[in-house]
Amino acid sequence: MLKDITLGQYFPGDTVVHRLDPRTKLLLVVIYIVALFAASSWITYALVLLAVLCCMALGHISPGNMFKGLKPMLFIIILTAALNVFYTQGTPILPGWKITWEGIDRAAKMVLRIMLLITGTFLLTYTTSPIALTDGLEKLLSPLKKWKVPVHEMTMMMSMALRFIPTLIEETDKIMSAQKARGADFETGSLIQRAKALIPILVPLFVSAFQRADDLAVAMECRCYHGGEGRTRMKVLTFARRDYIALTLGVVFLIAVILMRKCGI
Amino acid sequence: MKQETIITFDNVHYTYPEETAETLCGITMQVKKGSFVAVLGINGSGKSSLAKHMNAILTPSEGKVTVYGMDTADEELTLEIRRNVGMVFQNPDNQIVANVVEDDVAFAPENLGVPTEEIRRRVNDALAQVGMEEFQKHAPHLLSGGQKQRVAIAGVLAMQPDIIVLDEPTAMLDPQGRRDVLATVKRLCREKGMTVILITHHMEECVEADSLIILDAGRIVETGSPKEVFSQVERMKMLGLSSPEPTCLLHELNDEGFSFPTDVLDAETCAELIAKELNHG
Repeated sequence: MLKDITLGQYFPGDTVVHRLDPRTKLLLVVIYIVALFAASSWITYALVLLAVLCCMALGHISPGNMFKGLKPMLFIIILTAALNVFYTQGTPILPGWKITWEGIDRAAKMVLRIMLLITGTFLLTYTTSPIALTDGLEKLLSPLKKWKVPVHEMTMMMSMALRFIPTLIEETDKIMSAQKARGADFETGSLIQRAKALIPILVPLFVSAFQRADDLAVAMECRCYHGGEGRTRMKVLTFARRDYIALTLGVVFLIAVILMRKCGI
Repeated sequence: MKQETIITFDNVHYTYPEETAETLCGITMQVKKGSFVAVLGINGSGKSSLAKHMNAILTPSEGKVTVYGMDTADEELTLEIRRNVGMVFQNPDNQIVANVVEDDVAFAPENLGVPTEEIRRRVNDALAQVGMEEFQKHAPHLLSGGQKQRVAIAGVLAMQPDIIVLDEPTAMLDPQGRRDVLATVKRLCREKGMTVILITHHMEECVEADSLIILDAGRIVETGSPKEVFSQVERMKMLGLSSPEPTCLLHELNDEGFSFPTDVLDAETCAELIAKELNHG
């Protein structure tokens, strides 16, 4: 049952979006988020929406997959909408009502903004493998090394964590089967009872995770790991022409959105 | 031809921090270049600690270990020693660091600062040596135990070491995986001239070694060729070990009054000898 958890949610593919350098995609997401927060009118929102739809089409990501990703956020979206509808001052839609036209307008924009924010970031994780993502992050953040930020260590930890997710899931499955074989019950009872039933799983899982971490550290040392200094890479990230084009388009898009805001469109 | 000595242990003692009892008590031994050495011992005999001394993961509390004349206690030389002495452990899951086979094999050369094209060449080469080329792009967690262990060996080979130390590499594998891994190891020794040190508690895995070292309670209690060591069937039993089955069988027959040679390790020779005896009788 645990096997089908997809973490990182990467859909392998060979589209333009997939082939972009992870650094480009990370930068584009930042540009996109800034543009999204700069957008104020319906026209600019429509522009941002159009941009996302174009990228989805280019990356062959189906709207169905996008909506699946939005589902867990439904509660927050509805809550934001409700708060904005009821707590915005302005002209009531009917005399004596608490709901105002301004409230509806703001709620709709808020909902759209949250949904666009999520879709934009999902577009990144859907089309970029976790390893490429951590590699890109390391490269992008490497200037911070000057200020003693442990960039290499942080990204190495991230990629190790990703590497061990399937291993630990397998381990959890094994421990659960062993507990079930001895009569443990994980499926029935109140929420508290079920949470308590998880403790006998977590304890051995943690013990073995620490054992693994210890073994892994020795194995890494045996393979001459000594931090990020003097390390080379087999797969070197390179900017291709498509990356420059994508980044230029991104910057033009951002400037357009900001100009539209300044001109009050 | 006189073989060069590449690893020497000189009266090595080792005590783990926070422990009082010595794990290794006075190990003195030499490993010759290109040889296949098996280290056999029961659990807790100190064989893993011995292995970890060979690439400076542990350094002696007393005495000295040298690799190519380099003292393992010298921290300046640690990296060079580790590059020369590759080490493979029991659990393949805990030594694979990447999500893709080729990325994992590339880990060691990346750490060593090898140029990009050279890494690619070494990775392909290492994977070919263990027969895992076709799994280059696979995710390691979807491979079988034996395949994972061969990837781990490739990961070590990519450093281009002269010596490879395997610490119970087959303990967690099924029989097929065990055969594959052992065949790979033997080929590396016989064809590539690598020095192999195999730590194990399976007698059968030692039969083809050039020399056999038996550890008990942190001491070397027997050394010699597998034939010399295993022919002492009673002594093996006393140490909590046993000789290979054919040797034991002939030994028991000898107890019943036959006079077979005692240094037979493989089933075929054993069967031939018995058949001959029966025909005569």
